[in-house]
Amino acid sequence: MSSLALMRWLEGSPQRYDAGMRLLTFGRVTRLHEAVIAAAARKPGDRVLEIGCGTGSVTARLVAAGAQVTALDQAPEMLEQAQARLPEAGVTWLEQTAAEIDRLPEAGFEAVVLSLCLSDMSASERVFVLREARRRLAPGGRVVVADEVRAPGLRGVLQRFWRVPQAALGWLLVGTISRPVPDLVGELRVAGLAVQAEERWLLGSLAVMVAEPER
Amino acid sequence: MSWWREVLQAGFRLFPWPTEPGLRTVGQPDASSPVLLTGNYDLTVRRLMHALKGQDAWVVVAPSGGINVWCAAAGGHLSTHQVVTALKTCGVADRVQHRRVILPQLAATGALALDVFRRCRWKVTFGPVRLEDLPAYLEAGEKTDAMRRVQFGMRERLEMAAAWAVPIGLLLGGLTLLLRPGWALPVVAAVAAMAVAVFTVYDRLGRARRLVLAAAGVASALVATLLAGGGTAAIVVAIGLPLLLTAILTFDYEGSTPTEGGSHFEERRWRIAFDPERCDGVYRCWEVCPEACFEKLEAERKVEHAHDERCIRCGACVVQCPKDALFFEDAEGTRIEPEVIRRFKLNLLGQRSVDAS
Repeated sequence: MSSLALMRWLEGSPQRYDAGMRLLTFGRVTRLHEAVIAAAARKPGDRVLEIGCGTGSVTARLVAAGAQVTALDQAPEMLEQAQARLPEAGVTWLEQTAAEIDRLPEAGFEAVVLSLCLSDMSASERVFVLREARRRLAPGGRVVVADEVRAPGLRGVLQRFWRVPQAALGWLLVGTISRPVPDLVGELRVAGLAVQAEERWLLGSLAVMVAEPER
Repeated sequence: MSWWREVLQAGFRLFPWPTEPGLRTVGQPDASSPVLLTGNYDLTVRRLMHALKGQDAWVVVAPSGGINVWCAAAGGHLSTHQVVTALKTCGVADRVQHRRVILPQLAATGALALDVFRRCRWKVTFGPVRLEDLPAYLEAGEKTDAMRRVQFGMRERLEMAAAWAVPIGLLLGGLTLLLRPGWALPVVAAVAAMAVAVFTVYDRLGRARRLVLAAAGVASALVATLLAGGGTAAIVVAIGLPLLLTAILTFDYEGSTPTEGGSHFEERRWRIAFDPERCDGVYRCWEVCPEACFEKLEAERKVEHAHDERCIRCGACVVQCPKDALFFEDAEGTRIEPEVIRRFKLNLLGQRSVDAS
């Protein structure tokens, strides 16, 4: 082993990313994506902002569902893979961070999608991004969040046990350690968003939440 | 309070140790107090807070994946994105009237001053390399020559020795404990001694002396084999120890020491080249170079890459130069333009083998 190998892992790798996510979620990531698409792209032509598009697996499904997609990611190598996957889809690609969505037009989207990216953010970043996401919503629009959350009750204890090998595996495969979002519902509320529907998998640790601006 | 954290972090500092990103305060900062930014490596944040004792300052902890500043900046975990994200979301903009942020000098391979300004209007200055110099730097408002240069003193050397000895000692010691319990302690002691020797003496020796040392190591391995008295153990030792020694002596230390130059073919090829025509005397390169390779030519408002022999090809000067006056060039004159390096973090510490064309 040399420090070069260590460096390589630190860099992370888009090639490993998709396979890694499938493995880490025990294959549930596909069903999670389906739930996200159903909530985000309700009719053709819907304008959807996807934050943290990664290698574009959700983006491709949004496009297939007829949505008009604006997809952003901060990693140029991830965006490159996503663009290669969807060369003619008419997606607007942005290389920027989630925190910079405040530069996008207000009330410009029927849906804002955050799939498996909130758990990579710090608490203050999450609230900032969710608040700005709410401001980007057109009337009747919604924020669709899919992420790892803290499982309720006894299952939460179980989750803590499998987190350790999972975090180690995750670091090897994807190059980052994510932590479950401790209080997603609470953070959505702080950002002025109320959960309208939710679906959970893996003992309740993987959630898709659809939230709308509080009145 | 938490001595166990000190011990664990001394032994496992090669691994990420995240702390919560966000805004912290030292003393009683007000709207005009300085704003300092660092990564969310727990050890760094604690040492930074300690170094700032007695000051009034805002500390912005950016999400760098729990990785230390230099590695995170070179590996793309403390880049413009994380700096912009932290400055925008931590709430510091509502607390201060100015928009000046001090970044660690070693963040310069990844966090681009010009880009940060374009994207969130904060003006970046690169502070000193070492935390201990922060009070003097804040007092004077500028860096002395010594503050710009990475040092590798006895304390850092011992820290790196511990960082390598603990995980390797645990691994080898654990394996030995399973196979031959009586040898576990001597193996651990040998690993520790080796790590200390390598980081305090070995990397300062010339090539010839290293060879002598390596030969002595192999000889002592043979003696150990004879003393062990034949059998399977002796064979394992006879084959294993020289292999281990070779592995250790040919190890690529550049990730662990700032003195060891690049050992990979790809980065040996590239040198920092300089176009004096484009240089406009901004002196960013002078500010960020961790080996202080640049000299200011004040009269002409230019710089000179005067100490190429010290250059570790980190690329900080290339990516920071607002005039694109610096780039990588190989012996055949092939260039890697700054834009390519900025975009793909091709700082030759990170993605070394990416095709530059």
